[in-house]
Amino acid sequence: MKSFVDEVVATPGGENIRACIQCGVCTGSCPVANEMEYPPREIIAMIRAGMRNEVLSSNSMWYCLSCYMCTVRCPRGIKPTEIAHTLECLANQQGFRVKGTRTPAMYRSFVSSIKGNGRVHELGMMFRYYMTTNPLAALKMLPVGLKLFLRHRMPLIPKRVKGKEDLSKLIQKFAEIRGSE
Amino acid sequence: MEPRIGVYVCHCGSNIASTVNVEEVARFAQDLDSVVVSRDYKFMCSDPGQELIKKDIRELGLNRVVVASCSPTMHETTFRRACHEVGVNQYLFEMANIREHCSWVTEDKQEATEKAKALVSAAVRRVYYHQPLQSREVTVNADTLVVGGGIAGIQAALKIADSEHKVYLVEKEPSIGGHMAQLDKTFPTLDCSACILTPKMTMVGSHPYIELMTYSEVEEVSGYIGNFKVKIKKRARYVDEDKCTGCGLCQTKCPSKVDSEFDAGIGKRKAIYTPFPQAVPNIPVIDKEHCIYFLKGKCRLCEKICEAKAIDFEQEDQIIEVEVGAIILATGFNVFDPTPIYQYGYKRFDNVITSLEFERMVNSAGPTDGEIVLKDGSHPESIGIIHCVGSRDEKYHEYCSRVCCMYSMKLAHLIKEHTAAEVYEFYIDIRSFGKGYEEFYNRVLNEGAIFIRGRPAEITNIAEKPEEEGNLIIQFEDTLIGRQRRLPVDMIILSVALEPQPDAEAVARLFNISRSADGFFLERHPKLDPVATMTDGIFVAGCCQSPKDIPDTVAQASAAAAEALAMISKGRVEIEAATAVINESICSGCQTCKLVCPFGAISFEEEKEVCRVNEALCKGCGACVSGCPSDAITLNHFTNEQIVAQMEGMLV
Repeated sequence: MKSFVDEVVATPGGENIRACIQCGVCTGSCPVANEMEYPPREIIAMIRAGMRNEVLSSNSMWYCLSCYMCTVRCPRGIKPTEIAHTLECLANQQGFRVKGTRTPAMYRSFVSSIKGNGRVHELGMMFRYYMTTNPLAALKMLPVGLKLFLRHRMPLIPKRVKGKEDLSKLIQKFAEIRGSE
Repeated sequence: MEPRIGVYVCHCGSNIASTVNVEEVARFAQDLDSVVVSRDYKFMCSDPGQELIKKDIRELGLNRVVVASCSPTMHETTFRRACHEVGVNQYLFEMANIREHCSWVTEDKQEATEKAKALVSAAVRRVYYHQPLQSREVTVNADTLVVGGGIAGIQAALKIADSEHKVYLVEKEPSIGGHMAQLDKTFPTLDCSACILTPKMTMVGSHPYIELMTYSEVEEVSGYIGNFKVKIKKRARYVDEDKCTGCGLCQTKCPSKVDSEFDAGIGKRKAIYTPFPQAVPNIPVIDKEHCIYFLKGKCRLCEKICEAKAIDFEQEDQIIEVEVGAIILATGFNVFDPTPIYQYGYKRFDNVITSLEFERMVNSAGPTDGEIVLKDGSHPESIGIIHCVGSRDEKYHEYCSRVCCMYSMKLAHLIKEHTAAEVYEFYIDIRSFGKGYEEFYNRVLNEGAIFIRGRPAEITNIAEKPEEEGNLIIQFEDTLIGRQRRLPVDMIILSVALEPQPDAEAVARLFNISRSADGFFLERHPKLDPVATMTDGIFVAGCCQSPKDIPDTVAQASAAAAEALAMISKGRVEIEAATAVINESICSGCQTCKLVCPFGAISFEEEKEVCRVNEALCKGCGACVSGCPSDAITLNHFTNEQIVAQMEGMLV
């Protein structure tokens, strides 16, 4: 098996992590750094130290908001945002489950909706999300859902894109390259 | 004389022998045409190695030699000399590079051995056609040109002039002194910069062997090592240097106020000015762009007040031509402008300033008389110093500017000395590598400066908590704690990078030298020839070559002076015989060669209507050979016959 750092370096966006000088500009720029178990700079240090289990079972990457501030400011051309998404994929593939965040469930509902319809069907997506996380929480969202429904922004029947088969092929090809869903 | 070739395959310890089967290569060479003897040896460059060649020349009557070893830039001279010493012309030697071109870059032993054989075979075929050539000597003009009057230029000029050889020192500003004159104190000894620099400046000003040309720039350079011709433009000062007494009265009366370059923009000067009180020469210049007379046609106050009648509005730029044997470039550096780093707020926030601006502020001769003040005139209670601004960042400069850690700590010391303010140093790594530098780091730590490891993410004035109100807030990760933090401070100093001068490219072209990827002038060899350039007779010193501190700059300037003096003292230089020759009976006078020659070595003879090569200028690049439509040019030591033979040898 490849070492953890090699595994990350081989993914798109992970190329430069060996060049990290641990300056901390990523963590300093991160709006959610203090919520994470390990801030971005430490995640890179831990990847290089081969701490696969600690990194992949942490909540850090799932908290990333994709604001790209770290990527813009990094003096070494490292892309912590891309690395966060890579780590999400790896955690998912390798069966790590994170407590305290529902982001993976949200991703799964989103992707399943895309796979089924070629685009997001909000009602279906949110239904699946709440059913797999906390069905009671859906009650809180009911007033907003109702408003959206009345303004024709939340159709009951999903709309599908033309050429859904072509899209399926694209998704399949992507899964082959990336090695995950 | 029938060629009798000796081949010597070097092991270079294990550098070559661990990848190339050297014994097999030597056996292979034994069977090549005209090869009399072929040997392999542990270190050919060693004395016994060279002796091996000499012995074979004497005993076996060799008249051609091939050494298969390292790059010719390493040891060609060594083996040429060995041949020469026993009566074989040095140009009857050829080197096959089986280290850099073969063993170091090939993994498979079999492949490497085959490649080494091909390279040796090529060299043997080539050397068969070599012609004996004679190196020539030219005399060296004993005068030297030094460009740039900072500490590097001053040091180099003084060293040469002290040996009673003439130096022309050209400086584009109105005074010599450079950046060092702007600094307050110098690390790690805390000498006052002006106190150690101005005596040297005065010596330059009064030295009988130095001709100082300030407010001047080099316009044109021609010629070659030992014999350069240089045109210097002396810009009009509008002040007669012979009449001016330097009393300074004109500067007090001039009504036009401008940002002072010397004070890094935080102080003012007049339109007629000397940059600072100890300027050398102590003769003002009129800045035409801001002088009211030049702008509006009225004023001439300075002229009225000047008792010596030294003001001369009619003065014009002068072109001065000088001839020199060597040139030392000491054109210095530029400070990085941090405005593009938006998140640091330079020019957006009043109290974010650069290190050079702070240097002028803390200097007792500066615009605030050495008082550390905020824009509103009050005194800061806390100051943050941010390292590596514009350095170690692929978006600006990838390199480390070498001096920022140390000068930042010096500034921390000065703040502690002048005020009771808290000082925070934001660093990534502390680089205190010089003599007494680590001790200085220790001293500043003990003086109470707080060191925080982390490159700050941003500077803002938007408070998130009441205690942040009215301050600048630095947001950063304290990497040694692993937490994101915010720190309110009153003033922030950006320790900016040193970068190449904005005109470095033009200057490099003017003197026909190269620059490295970072934009600084390129030395001939980073370790073994650090002040020479690829153009013979032109040397570099100081920060134009790379960022460096004052001790290194002075050492390098002395080295450049020694190089120039070595040339002057010998009085002549040897010039490579591998130059182009034009066959006049074939030349049609089309002058294509003259057009393509990058060294200006070809001239057209009107009378005979042919072109001719100046051998002293020719570098043997071969551009003219391939450019000539009539095939009239031959490059000695790179003839068609030799090159074709080399290629055939390679393909065997």
